[in-house]
Amino acid sequence: MKKIIGCFTLILALLLTGCSRGLFNEDAKITVYTRDTTSGTRDGFMNGIGFSEAAKQDDLLVSGFLIKDNTAILNAMTIDEYGIGYISLSSLTDNVKGLKLNGVIPSEANVLNDTYDLKRPFMWMIRAEADYPSEAVELLVQAFVAFLNTTDAGDIINNAGAIALPSSTTWDSIKNDYPITAEDNHLITVRFGGSDSIQKVAQALTQAFSAKAGNFIAEHDHTGSGDGWKRTNGDSKDQAEGKDVGFSSRNFTSAELANVNATQTGQLAWDAIVTIVHNDNPIENITTQILKNIYSGAYTLWSDLPETD
Amino acid sequence: MSRINTTLRSKKILIDQFAHQGLKTLALLSASFIFLIGSVILVKGLTPFLTDNDGLGRVGLIPFITGNVWLIDPTFQSSLYSVGFLIITTLYIVFLSLLISFPVGVLTALFIAKIAPKKLAECFRSVVEILASIPSIIYGLFGAGFILKIVYQMSQLVGVQSKGGNSVLSTVIILALMTIPTITTVSEVAIRSVDQRLIEGSLALGASFTQTNFKVVLTAAKSGIFTAAILGVGRALGEATAVSLVAGGRRSGLSFDLLDTTATLTTTMLEGMKESQGLDYNIRFSVGMVLLVVILITNFLLNLIKRKVGKIHVK
Amino acid sequence: MSNKRKAQDFLLQFGTYFAAFFSFATLSLIIFFIFTNGVKLLNLDLITHDYQAKTHIAEPLAPNDTDYFEPEETLKAEVYYSPRWGLGLIDSIDLMGKTQVEIAYVHPSSPFQQLHDKGLSHELLSLKPDMMIIRIAYSDQPSSLARYGAEQMIDELALSNQIRELEFTIPGGGIRGSIITTFYLIVFSLLFALPIGIGAAIYLNEYAKNNRFTRLLRSFIELLTGVPSIIYGLMGLAFFVPFIINVSSATSGSILSGSMTMAVILLPVVIRTTEESLKVVPDEYRQGSLALGASKTQTTFRIVLPGAFPGVLSATLLAIGRIIGESAALVFAIGTAIKDDIRVTEQSTSLAVHIWAMMTDEPANIELSSTIAIIILLIVLLLNLLIKLLTRRFLRKVSAPR
Repeated sequence: MKKIIGCFTLILALLLTGCSRGLFNEDAKITVYTRDTTSGTRDGFMNGIGFSEAAKQDDLLVSGFLIKDNTAILNAMTIDEYGIGYISLSSLTDNVKGLKLNGVIPSEANVLNDTYDLKRPFMWMIRAEADYPSEAVELLVQAFVAFLNTTDAGDIINNAGAIALPSSTTWDSIKNDYPITAEDNHLITVRFGGSDSIQKVAQALTQAFSAKAGNFIAEHDHTGSGDGWKRTNGDSKDQAEGKDVGFSSRNFTSAELANVNATQTGQLAWDAIVTIVHNDNPIENITTQILKNIYSGAYTLWSDLPETD
Repeated sequence: MSRINTTLRSKKILIDQFAHQGLKTLALLSASFIFLIGSVILVKGLTPFLTDNDGLGRVGLIPFITGNVWLIDPTFQSSLYSVGFLIITTLYIVFLSLLISFPVGVLTALFIAKIAPKKLAECFRSVVEILASIPSIIYGLFGAGFILKIVYQMSQLVGVQSKGGNSVLSTVIILALMTIPTITTVSEVAIRSVDQRLIEGSLALGASFTQTNFKVVLTAAKSGIFTAAILGVGRALGEATAVSLVAGGRRSGLSFDLLDTTATLTTTMLEGMKESQGLDYNIRFSVGMVLLVVILITNFLLNLIKRKVGKIHVK
Repeated sequence: MSNKRKAQDFLLQFGTYFAAFFSFATLSLIIFFIFTNGVKLLNLDLITHDYQAKTHIAEPLAPNDTDYFEPEETLKAEVYYSPRWGLGLIDSIDLMGKTQVEIAYVHPSSPFQQLHDKGLSHELLSLKPDMMIIRIAYSDQPSSLARYGAEQMIDELALSNQIRELEFTIPGGGIRGSIITTFYLIVFSLLFALPIGIGAAIYLNEYAKNNRFTRLLRSFIELLTGVPSIIYGLMGLAFFVPFIINVSSATSGSILSGSMTMAVILLPVVIRTTEESLKVVPDEYRQGSLALGASKTQTTFRIVLPGAFPGVLSATLLAIGRIIGESAALVFAIGTAIKDDIRVTEQSTSLAVHIWAMMTDEPANIELSSTIAIIILLIVLLLNLLIKLLTRRFLRKVSAPR
């Protein structure tokens, strides 16, 4: 019995001593993370790095890449030292390292003055006139869209990390045009969906707007930019997953706009796409060309990357 | 007087019959659910193979069962869904997890039933009971929060890059942990029911206590132990939520690498369901159908082996 | 004994000790893990609070004059304090790793003690510690945003004379909604499963003759045990969800459809446990009752069923444990939207699905998940203990000499 217990302690001790961390190894393989092909972020990223063929096709990418959603990529980059991925600037945190692109820091100022290359618009789209579950929902959606152009919405968009379009109107000055917002709407549900890169921004907006507009219920179900049109004006608009307001983190395509009125869509903000790596990775700056080489598989090791400044 | 009695009696008989029929209906209803499940899964699951899926094209049964890719393109073409690699990885993972859980489970059972002193046995039996009653989502949470980190650090030690620990290994560990209590409980009953005379006979012939335990007790209980393994495999094959938190959601390509990401039939069913009708929705029922078939076949084969093993007398 | 055999025996013996220790270590690790991660958030507020944060938009009631508020307590060093507004703020980091501004101290006569709600209610609001400020909009300068931190907000506040509006939230993260949903699920699932299951068990044990038909019935019910819960989920999604949508105002998965699915999962457990307890009721009871002139129905429901009551009770407890722990089936049969306002015809999450929703959502909220796991684990352990006590008492009662 004693011998046996002795053996245990030995094995346990051996197991426990085995846990320590290594330093960054330049000769390690690059783990490439990407969004799936419905994603607006992927569309914006691939177009931005000059690899637009890969926006809709996975087989052009380096073999062994991983498809993850927005925050899963963010999460992966906190644990995978050798990973590289891209996310929306609005999701960037200190837990990962956001890289300069061609020497330019991804910041709001650099997006608005057009020096940062990887940017894309945040768009909204609403259902066609009189195609809502109820009139109250339609009126609320119209009020919401008007709210998007106010400074109040701009504050919230900026606070959530996206870059609001300049505006000087306040909600207080136009709210009387939308009498529905003065009523008690706590039983009304408005459904929001589309791009999941916009989810955090959209949630911040609806939280604020619900407080201003009779506490209506905002139901968020964000599944990708492709569904921004599909679930408001496309095939699945009348299914259970139909939405009243859809968001897209890329411009709507001409095919999507074919059956949509000009008043049904608009831009609410700009967003920058940031290349991210693990905090232990020594790299600071990257170029669009290097990114293309990484995603196409020309560079497979971190040591393959040429020096940049 | 007698008339009242007869009406009373006939009323009683009526109530009796009524109760009898009512209860029978309830029993029939209970038994019918298995057909409801079967038919729902079949009807929905076969749709992709029989219709042209609203213009997306019919899914071919053979490519579906043998293929190597699960939807890495968003356009929902019929040719993009296949589960061949998922069937194999599912079986591979379950097999590996059984390699851990079977010996550990059976030996734990032996320990509890024959070796440990009474009080210690009682304590360990409670431990196993508690483990058996922990919901799978908590195993999943433990896997995502703890096993993933351990596996990631381990893989770094051996110089392999695992994708955040999401891997075959993590999945195998979680499944093994979840099936050990099942195997232990069932084997313990089998071990305890081994005839005491057999054990005494072995000891009397000069075999050591340990020899008796391993060569006589385990052999005598082998049928029950095998049943335990079958139950364990069943649980592992059907497990979904816990596995989905550590597998990593691989979309294509067969990989037997322990530290590579993976996916099983169940995790694929849980992942990314966007529609509420149409091909992308129905195809999940097809995967469910495949899962049921895999479970049935595995069970059948294992039972066959069990019968074979039962006949051979192991020394 | 030879040395070789001794060594062999030792190795084998070691194997069993190791295996037993392994189970023990697993349990300890799991419990250790969820407690270290979850115990921080475990308090009464968690159970009573909403999951979603509640946002308010308000304006200070009185335009402020140039008051000076000396804090009445010593503030922590990290707190930024504006004596002019009587407000102390502190930086905090949310799960996403983003900066937020949390209220640390509000002076009793600060203008922020009296705020006019710009939303529906016209009640007076006041800022309290632990609330989060999202933004402050001024009439005379650009707004202050939470993402730039507490220090900058206090600096900008100091420069302004007129606050136009203030957006703040009462933080969420509570699990009241999921607790209510779990409770509803238990009630409705049992409502469906118990009558059917107990009825079927009575039929099988008391009425059915031992013929092929009965054996077939039994084996069909037994088959249900082998079906993985994710398959039940698919069945619920394709059958019960549309059914509930047709007969009620539901538009998607709902607590009702989830309960019905759950009821089917529970049936084999309820039937088996009830039947076992019916078998233990001695035959003399039945014969005695019948001999005294009671009908078969009366005998079954007045004599046999009460005798089997502890068994039925433990079937119920087992069922409750299963409902609390189930996740895969409910993901399909109800959905994964975490709600605060619970209606039986709408989506919401049980405690287990709440964990799943948070773990698959990003970033995974391991802390709150572990806290919920502690609650689930405690309930499950308690149920197990009750079942054990019940079975022990029942067995003693039955075997006791009459």
